[in-house]
Amino acid sequence: MTGVRVLAAGAALALVLAGCASKGTQNQTGDTVNLGASMSLSGALEKEGKLTQQGYDYCVSTVNAKGGVPVGGRTLRLNIDYQDDQSQPDTAGQLVDQFNDKGYHLILGPYGSATTGAAMAVIERNGQVMVDSSGADDKLFDRGYRRTFAVLSPASVYAVSIVNAINELATPKPRSMVFLSADDGFSKTVAAAGEARARSLGFSVLPTQQFPAGATDVSSALTRIKSSKPDVIIGSVHLAEGIAIIKQAAELGVTPAGGFAETVAPPTPDFVTTLGTKANGVLSSSQWVPEVKGSDGFFGTATDYRNGFRAAFGQDPEYHNAEATAACLAMVLAVRKAGSTDPGKVRDALAQLDEQSFFGPLKFNDRGENVTKPMSVIQIQNGKLVTVWPADQAAGRLIWPGAGG
Amino acid sequence: MSALAQATVYGLLQGGLLAMIAVGFSLVWGVMNVINLAHGGYVLLGAYIAWELHAAWGLDPLIGAVTGGLVMFGVGYVVQRLLVNQIVNAPIFLTLLLTFGLQLVLVQGMAVVFSADYRSIATPYASQAFTLQSFGLADVRVPYGRLLAFVVAVLATAALVVFTQRSRTGLAILATGMDRTAARLMGINARHVYALTAGIAAALAGAAGALVGLVGTFSPPDAARFTLLSFVISVLGGLGNMYGALLGGLVLGVVQAWAGQYLPGTWVNAVAFAVLVGVLIVRPAGLAGRAFYEARVEAT
Repeated sequence: MTGVRVLAAGAALALVLAGCASKGTQNQTGDTVNLGASMSLSGALEKEGKLTQQGYDYCVSTVNAKGGVPVGGRTLRLNIDYQDDQSQPDTAGQLVDQFNDKGYHLILGPYGSATTGAAMAVIERNGQVMVDSSGADDKLFDRGYRRTFAVLSPASVYAVSIVNAINELATPKPRSMVFLSADDGFSKTVAAAGEARARSLGFSVLPTQQFPAGATDVSSALTRIKSSKPDVIIGSVHLAEGIAIIKQAAELGVTPAGGFAETVAPPTPDFVTTLGTKANGVLSSSQWVPEVKGSDGFFGTATDYRNGFRAAFGQDPEYHNAEATAACLAMVLAVRKAGSTDPGKVRDALAQLDEQSFFGPLKFNDRGENVTKPMSVIQIQNGKLVTVWPADQAAGRLIWPGAGG
Repeated sequence: MSALAQATVYGLLQGGLLAMIAVGFSLVWGVMNVINLAHGGYVLLGAYIAWELHAAWGLDPLIGAVTGGLVMFGVGYVVQRLLVNQIVNAPIFLTLLLTFGLQLVLVQGMAVVFSADYRSIATPYASQAFTLQSFGLADVRVPYGRLLAFVVAVLATAALVVFTQRSRTGLAILATGMDRTAARLMGINARHVYALTAGIAAALAGAAGALVGLVGTFSPPDAARFTLLSFVISVLGGLGNMYGALLGGLVLGVVQAWAGQYLPGTWVNAVAFAVLVGVLIVRPAGLAGRAFYEARVEAT
């Protein structure tokens, strides 16, 4: 009888230990470093989610082709496990939690500010560490979290850089501007910062018009501003609303004397393929362009990155791809610097990271934002993205007025 | 003043297209008591058929609308005959579950086959517009693409009204909707009539999808939005009446346009739903609904 009890106790102990083991670390299995990523592989942000996944995948294949991640005298293969968050923030949070249960403590960010915000809270609670590739809303970094690091420029820079470029380069200089903004947190932050910058530079700024995020009908906003005839219309938008602004402005005869500028949408290939010649002249800010200065040991220069990506996927990378690769690179560099996959050590290495890369500088302030990286301004000219600002990256001159395709 | 006129014109044009998207949904709901959650998927399938025809042979989206409509008629008929008919007498929860599953399969399938890229069918005329100068409204523009979509949508809906009220098959559909047992006793093959109804609904959805491609953009995740719109318009317009959906679509289009004109832009959806609630309080059967479904005799 005692033997049976001992056996039962032993079995119970074994189960408990097995349970503990399954909660243990999967950051490193054998000779592989495992990263987890919750991603919009379906749902409203599927397109952008897949671009982000492409950027992560390209990072994996390139790093492994270069021998892998050097960790404390060994080189380990890099692996990313994905889970589909269906573009839902709460699902993204749950998936990051599940990764933690499986022992994945090194996480790459999902697509978009809303999902990233949900994931950040979970990361902080679980003591995981995340490199954010696309959550740019400044408000995410107001919460005092210390375990998320964003490689990209924050939302407040998106429209500001466009306004700066117009202010420096446009002749004749426009007098009035209006912001048309989607009502999600990211877009509102972008518009508010852009508006403030435009006012401080002396532009007359009409009241911002908002519409629901993801709207495919923005005709009301356009009708409302039509009679005030603003010189420049700046859309603080994502892809669907960005395409709708250009399409419906043509239908409604809204033709600003200077032209259109939009955040996020124009660098996405679908913008040009959908709008054709109507896309010409539209300005946008971009997290990354092939003219970015800086290089790193894995991807080389920005031009090398473009060429390598093109060889791998048969198309040029756009900034969603590049920022994803850069987030993965920051994680790889931090693991190398820490010499360990321990999340605490990797976090500290990220906080102290100061490296140049194909994406520009990778260096974080104490809020976890990459504020040293400049944002570029591009213009669509003959269906191609041409970098026009800042001067040291410019590949072509700004065509002004930009409207009229 | 001209801003209001512009908003009204635009809202009406938009409303016509919304009506065409919703009319099939309303028909299926009214006749079979099936809330087809895959309806938005049908709209998008039609859009992709038109897009493929345009990309491959440069065919105009109007030809795409006819082709898309015909193909989707077949799809709707077969899906109803093989799948939905099996559980059409079961509690509505089961049909909801089935059509929801179908919607998921359609959306994921389209994302795999066509990718999640945003598409739009580019034509030289869609963004061109004429002004209402002869009415003293020189500032009000009527885009050709939207006008065309509106006209096709209204004609298709009107044709459906005539078909259901004048043709033998149409009357059979209405009769089956009112009392399936009596219809069967009159020699109507209910299974075939149901499949025919679903086919017509899918055809209209598919053709409307081609028109969506003509005037706007689409990608697979939009399916849910089209299903929701169809639901709202059907309830607003009222079931059991083919032009209920037309009325509902036009009202929704104009209300959204006016709300966008006079209220903060983010209130548009809230106002649209508030109008829906308001109408249902005053007229529980919808604007033009006859509430015949409640009065019908259910076979046991």
